[in-house]
Amino acid sequence: MLLTRRTTLAGLGAGLALAGRARAAAPSAVNIGFFTETKPTMLAKGEGWFESGVGGKLSWTEMGSGADINTAITSGSCDIGLSTGSAATAAGIAQQLPFKLIGMVDNIGPAEEMTVRTAANIKTAADFKGKKVATPFGSTSHFRLLGFLKTNGLTQRDVTVLDMKAAAIVAAWSRGEIDAAYVWAPAKSKILADGGTPFPTYEALDKAGYVIADLIIVRDAFAQQYPDAVTGFLKAYGKALGMYRAESDKTADIVAKQAGVSPAVALADMKEYDFVPLAEQVTPAWLGGTATDPGKFARVLKGTADFLVEQRSIKTAPALETFQKAIDTSFLAKAIA
Amino acid sequence: MSRSIPAWAITLASIAVVLCAWVGVTEGGLVRDLFLPSPADLWSGFLELIDEGYKGRPLLVHVGDSLFRVGAGFVTGVAAGTLLGLAMGYLPKLDALAAPFVEFLRPLPQLAYLILLIIWLGIGETSKITMLFLAALPVAAVAARDGVRNVPAERLRVAQTLGASSWQVFRHVIIPSALPEILVGARLAAGIVYGTLIAAEIIAGSSGIGWMILDAGRFLRSDYVFVGIIMLGLAGIAIDRALLLIEKRAVHWAGR
Repeated sequence: MLLTRRTTLAGLGAGLALAGRARAAAPSAVNIGFFTETKPTMLAKGEGWFESGVGGKLSWTEMGSGADINTAITSGSCDIGLSTGSAATAAGIAQQLPFKLIGMVDNIGPAEEMTVRTAANIKTAADFKGKKVATPFGSTSHFRLLGFLKTNGLTQRDVTVLDMKAAAIVAAWSRGEIDAAYVWAPAKSKILADGGTPFPTYEALDKAGYVIADLIIVRDAFAQQYPDAVTGFLKAYGKALGMYRAESDKTADIVAKQAGVSPAVALADMKEYDFVPLAEQVTPAWLGGTATDPGKFARVLKGTADFLVEQRSIKTAPALETFQKAIDTSFLAKAIA
Repeated sequence: MSRSIPAWAITLASIAVVLCAWVGVTEGGLVRDLFLPSPADLWSGFLELIDEGYKGRPLLVHVGDSLFRVGAGFVTGVAAGTLLGLAMGYLPKLDALAAPFVEFLRPLPQLAYLILLIIWLGIGETSKITMLFLAALPVAAVAARDGVRNVPAERLRVAQTLGASSWQVFRHVIIPSALPEILVGARLAAGIVYGTLIAAEIIAGSSGIGWMILDAGRFLRSDYVFVGIIMLGLAGIAIDRALLLIEKRAVHWAGR
């Protein structure tokens, strides 16, 4: 009898706890997948703005790549992916992974760019023939590099494309084993300082549609259960963007502390990115649009996914409409209201 | 006894049951192909890889590159490890000298020193094979050393009484007596080298089955991932069986 009563009580207790959780507007624990970076995201993280915006305890997990964030979201172990690349996001939408794109951290612009070894004497695209170029595969940089090869009529038979993590690129560069690398800061600044020269590809590629951006994605089930927390998260980032615009030096100090670099480096890194204000993100010039009249970013994602199919990284890409449907600007709209 | 089910039939049945469950779960639409591709998906993925290769290289080149790395790392690591182990077992002073390093290296995860290997040896085959070499060496060394230590003392004494020189004792008594343990060590080392392959192919990849699995996994191309895993698994069994065969031929007397 005693056992039964205990079990009943325990069951009742658990039931109450569950009911309590379902009613709560704020989640008790939120899993964030992120990258340590020199961006205003680290300001909102360091100052606890994300935490108060969400209204629950945040558990931060450093990810290796945007693909890792996709995998973690699919398995339910990540609720919000911060600064995941547009290439991984396009692949994820094409594979109908359970997430929505809710905002942008930045438009990458020239922040990810080709660096060539000055001694390798690479002046034109044709000079890349027979050279070794490294990039982290599956990244936005990889996507740009492949776009660069394609738009210049080069194939991976002409150029040896090597898959290396950013840290490995710096190591191999110092040994003189690679002739060029397509990568982001801080690896980019390190190899530039170590006998590298910028080889601008961004403007031509941007015009050709190879737009890349860092994005914020949220797991579907989480967004449905805690819409206010999602809005709060975006609001916190909006606040960080505002402070960066108003007081970039002070922002750089805090970002530098979070990322473990000097304030000067943090400021220089941030200046390379195009931090689009939330109010602009919501327009069709970026994320906005409807399923019947998609905005710019749905087209970017569709173009990215089509390219990934061509590369046989993913099997198929759905229609443009699917990409616009995977973008949910309702949280952005509420965050700027 | 004649009515009892033979072992091979049980093996076949267990494979058949797993295959049926696989087909049932995937064809029934219970799970998405992202999580578990159907056997048909896998087969078409495999044919695609054979026809078009993976990321600019034919499938056979990927397989060949991986087997070359495993082979080179295994052969050099086991050869060097066995020689070192034999010497360590025979000369206690050398054992005292080398043991701390061998013992330190043996349990160390290879990923821990990945970046060091790139800085020291670069991104080519050398760093990959060195990583596999370092995985095989301590295992083979410890096996050979223990093999020498476990040679019964009376065998040595008999040989010495019969007037054998120390080289003759080493060559004709110690090596044959330690051979069973050396070969067991080699099989163990093969397993470890094989397990290290993926870590080695993280170094500036773009070839090898291990790299293919990693790269396909980035975009959740589960069909290619499974093809890679099955190929690795089957090749692993083949390698182990081949070593077992050599072991049986070479030390048929072992255990008798």
